[in-house]
Amino acid sequence: MKKSKLSLLLVLSLVLSMFLAACSGGDKNEGKDKDGGKAGEEKLAAKQELNVLESAEIPTMDTVMGQDVLTFTTANAVNEGLYRLDPDQKVIPGVAQDMPSYNDDKTVLTIKLKKDTKWSNGDPVTAKDFVYAWQRAIDPRVAAPYGAYFMEGKIKGASEIVEKADKVTDADLQSLGIKAVDDYTLEITLEREIPYIESYLTFPLFFPQNQKYVESQGADYAKDSEHLIYNGPFKLAKWDGPTGSSWVYEKNADYWDAKNVTLEKINFNVSKDPQASANAFTAGEADITPKLAQAAILSQFEGTDELLSYQEPSIWWLKMNEKNPALANKNIRKAIALATDKKALVDDVLANGSIVADFLVPKGFSFDEDGKDFRDTAGTYLKADKKKAKELWEKGLAETGLKEVTFTYVGQDTETAKVTDAFIKDQLETTLPGLKINIESVPFKIRIAREDAEDYDLLMGGWGPDYADPMTYMDLWVTGGGQNHMSYGNPEFDKLIKAANEELQGKERWKALQDAEKILLEDDAAIAPLYQRSVNILINPKVKGFAHHAFGPDYSYQWIKITE
Amino acid sequence: MTNKDIVISKDLFEPAHVDPSKSEKIAKASLNFWQDSWLRIRKNKGAVISMIILILLIIMAFVGPFLTPYEYDTQNTKHNNLPPRIQGLENVHWLPFDGTLSRRDGTEYNAYETRKVDAYYWFGTDNLGRDLFARVWKGTQVSLFIAFMAALIDMLIGVSYGAVSGYIGGKTDSIMQRIIEVIVGIPNLIIVVLMILVLKPGIVPIIVALTITGWTSMARVVRAQVLKFKAQEFVLASKTLGASNVSIIFKHMIPNMFGIIIINTMFSIPNAIFFEAFLSFIGLGLQEPHASLGTLVESGYKSMIAFPYQMIIPSIMIALIMVCFNLVADGLRDALDPKMRD
Amino acid sequence: MAKYILQRIIYMIITLFIVASVTFFLMKLIPGSPFNNFEKLSEVQRNILLDKYGLNDPVPVQYATYMKNMVQGDLGVSFQFDNTPVTDLLAKRVGPSAILGIEAMIFGGLLGILLGVIAALKQNSWVDYTSTFIAVVGKSIPSFIFAGLLQYYVAVKLGWLPVMFWKGPEYTILPSIALAMFPLSIAARFMRTEMVEVLGSDYITLARAKGASYWQISIKHALRNALIPVVTVLGPLAVSLMTGSLVIEQIFGIPGIGEQFVKSINMNDYPVIMGTNILFAVLFVVVTLVVDILYGIIDPRIRLSGGGN
Repeated sequence: MKKSKLSLLLVLSLVLSMFLAACSGGDKNEGKDKDGGKAGEEKLAAKQELNVLESAEIPTMDTVMGQDVLTFTTANAVNEGLYRLDPDQKVIPGVAQDMPSYNDDKTVLTIKLKKDTKWSNGDPVTAKDFVYAWQRAIDPRVAAPYGAYFMEGKIKGASEIVEKADKVTDADLQSLGIKAVDDYTLEITLEREIPYIESYLTFPLFFPQNQKYVESQGADYAKDSEHLIYNGPFKLAKWDGPTGSSWVYEKNADYWDAKNVTLEKINFNVSKDPQASANAFTAGEADITPKLAQAAILSQFEGTDELLSYQEPSIWWLKMNEKNPALANKNIRKAIALATDKKALVDDVLANGSIVADFLVPKGFSFDEDGKDFRDTAGTYLKADKKKAKELWEKGLAETGLKEVTFTYVGQDTETAKVTDAFIKDQLETTLPGLKINIESVPFKIRIAREDAEDYDLLMGGWGPDYADPMTYMDLWVTGGGQNHMSYGNPEFDKLIKAANEELQGKERWKALQDAEKILLEDDAAIAPLYQRSVNILINPKVKGFAHHAFGPDYSYQWIKITE
Repeated sequence: MTNKDIVISKDLFEPAHVDPSKSEKIAKASLNFWQDSWLRIRKNKGAVISMIILILLIIMAFVGPFLTPYEYDTQNTKHNNLPPRIQGLENVHWLPFDGTLSRRDGTEYNAYETRKVDAYYWFGTDNLGRDLFARVWKGTQVSLFIAFMAALIDMLIGVSYGAVSGYIGGKTDSIMQRIIEVIVGIPNLIIVVLMILVLKPGIVPIIVALTITGWTSMARVVRAQVLKFKAQEFVLASKTLGASNVSIIFKHMIPNMFGIIIINTMFSIPNAIFFEAFLSFIGLGLQEPHASLGTLVESGYKSMIAFPYQMIIPSIMIALIMVCFNLVADGLRDALDPKMRD
Repeated sequence: MAKYILQRIIYMIITLFIVASVTFFLMKLIPGSPFNNFEKLSEVQRNILLDKYGLNDPVPVQYATYMKNMVQGDLGVSFQFDNTPVTDLLAKRVGPSAILGIEAMIFGGLLGILLGVIAALKQNSWVDYTSTFIAVVGKSIPSFIFAGLLQYYVAVKLGWLPVMFWKGPEYTILPSIALAMFPLSIAARFMRTEMVEVLGSDYITLARAKGASYWQISIKHALRNALIPVVTVLGPLAVSLMTGSLVIEQIFGIPGIGEQFVKSINMNDYPVIMGTNILFAVLFVVVTLVVDILYGIIDPRIRLSGGGN
């Protein structure tokens, strides 16, 4: 069953967009039949109202300050940027009239805006709203957590503004590469060509904000749903601020595409306990649950049309800290990478549709000009092989002169993480004689701190993409890179990444990234990839047109229709 | 009221024959404190049964893991989440040891047959295919160890603190009591949680965290006793005879409060077990692959609906230990309390 | 009396000061930053954020600032909730927790007292054993297991009550019951012990000898006197409910304080943890004080004097 899902996924992926695609698994509830289509054939329910569970509160609704996926998902529903992702992960115009036009070296984008889009207070959405929001996002005095991360090295002038830190002036902000040519024309200047810029602009950080409104609210802005204005398919209501444990989406009649929004209302409630969420779903009190990872809960729903399962572009791996002399040895690293039975891990332990990862850049995530998946043209590396692992291990021990090795293994304290870690410990210890592993399960924040300080030998971690390009996984490992944190370095790898970042285009760039991946995994065994994660949610089969995305917002609700 | 009229005549009475030589005779055998207590606790059926169960549990905690062919930490993911099945009992369907599980729609199936597993896991297996029989006993062992250690440390600190504070008295006592009052005012949950976060989860940090606020009740009880004894003749006597303060406290006073100290300790053991379980539930319990009853209940809770046995068995174990300790402590209190003497 | 209360209030303040200080320094010992995605930011960006929240200052300076603000009633702002003042956050969330706690106290307390009294009156009968059994089971099984079972069987399978959330009185029933098991068992055990003791005391024998009826003895004489010491356990019980509510609130999706506490710990949201701690500590000391004073008023045998036993 899992196999067939996977192959369907691959077929779908090929058909999908150029920039981003489908983590869409083949499931009945797939959002492929959005407007018109199949859903039209089925009779719509009289009451277009949905009950959704979320696993956390919305930390903020100020799009510039957002750093959490729930902020992004909500912003994507109640606001709109230049572009948005459709259910097939294709970039479609939002506030923009159509796709951008470029200058010759593709560093200047000119974007025309729709003239009939409105804020919920009646003001028109203009190019100035974008300029204002972007300048706020980069302003060091605002200290937007994601602002500089998304703009530095990409949008012209961003790095210089960040360097000024708190000495920045309003005049400095004008040097950011975004200009309102007139009310409905926007000009964006990039540092260099960015192949994935169109999907990049769908990110909620780049959403517009109405200067007049934001400034009139002062500190109260985004305090609750009454202190916000909306330009998206829905309007937020009954949200009493970041601590609010329930909120409502109401259809926005003024939205430019309101005729294609069928849902009238969505009620959100926070439920942090997975079994409780499943219980609420079973009792009919919820139509959509949060992501559920526990195999024991999922097994109750296996094979029903209520379970929606799809791969997300999120890779989980074992990091090996080369500060430890044993792990500085390539053979020992490779032995560890080969020693875990990844198939048993995904099939028996996780048992949630996750797939074995013998690679770094996930499946169904990035596509070349011909729509071919990055993975289809790249190889697979570090396939589990216990016999070979043992050989390499003994060779490595002989080289380092060690007999017994003890590693500190840092993992997270969630239920799934604990089980996974216990399994990997057992696999490593039984396959590699003389190895002892001490697991330390810590909360997420502490894991990050330990990683930062390189205070670990082995560390279980993962990565989700920030934009739709393999680079989001690859540039993590350059020598001294901000995310390396394992003292890994290979000049050859660095060279390829630099070339892919600055010189190469198209197929050549692709090739460079694939070569770099091979160096990282096959040659150096710098990290040990384990699995690509699956998302599992429970969804009422009457809900059609639910769309999920690979990065930024998790879901789009605007194409949902409830059938009889 | 009708028997008012009955006349009791003097000849109904007869003088008793008293043998003056026997007036000093002690009819009952002389018993020391422990024999006396044992006599009385023996009458309390609940306490005796509990004590027997506790002893069995403690023996099983050490022997149990060796009774099955499986190790508590050996994984076999092909055999994961199998329900309990016991040779001989597998055909008795009303017992929960026939290897069946029920689906969401209520139908039952034999997990061993559908998955073609030819093995007997007496308490079933967990999500990594580890034998729960071995794990439950191993967990009992760890939980009891944590509880005993916590209780022991509480006792040592509490008794010394209380004895010193009560015996020296005056300003010292006053200051030491104020310190206790402040410590008691700190919600222990919060301190325990923070301590675990700082110290990293593990057996020792859990014990430290449990004892950091746990000793105060013992200290208070002991102090009160010391204050009481201080004025009594036997203390005065030994003081007059030149006994040192240390020997008065440890040789004369503390043996006299063994009863109270033991009861207090008996009550703090189940509390420690319970707290350990709670820590596990908020993710601050022991590290894999170690197990305590708390971590077993916690991971069982996550699969409560699909594989109920994973939660029920360790829960029964916790409940059993708690019930027994409470009943024994109750029995001891009744037995050692001089007021209850008959 | 006034002197005693004043003295107790001084200790309360010292206790609160120590709780605040200890939590502050313990929090500083825990590694990790309170910001999401902190690992993705560059050094410059990190410093901007840390400066903004004063986290770059030396720890003693941070401590002094925090204590100064705390005295003025300002507990700082939350990191995870985008600058929401901690006092606002606690104020919004204290309601459901309080309702839940009070309901559980009333339900558990009353039922526990009833069970205890019946057990004492029918000592060593099956009624007594049943009541003891219920009490001990209630005490020994963690409340989250009751919560899980109640939710699945009563709400999902039988459909009698809503599964979760906090939208009306019927939503409070299941979590209150789950939370009430602990106070119930404590009250029942305590009540039974006290009642047995009172029933065996001389004045009850006297009342019996004077020909008072069974009910008169049980209710008028025994129950009233046995109830007095129960007041002393109410305080610790009310506080113990805080422990239970951490998990219960999560299972039933109740927007209370306990539910937020564990998450704040995992998020390193120092100000919220500190604020919650201080709130818990205040509740704790105030409840203890009130109970002690009440006890002195109800029971004339107890004379309140400074400290001591």
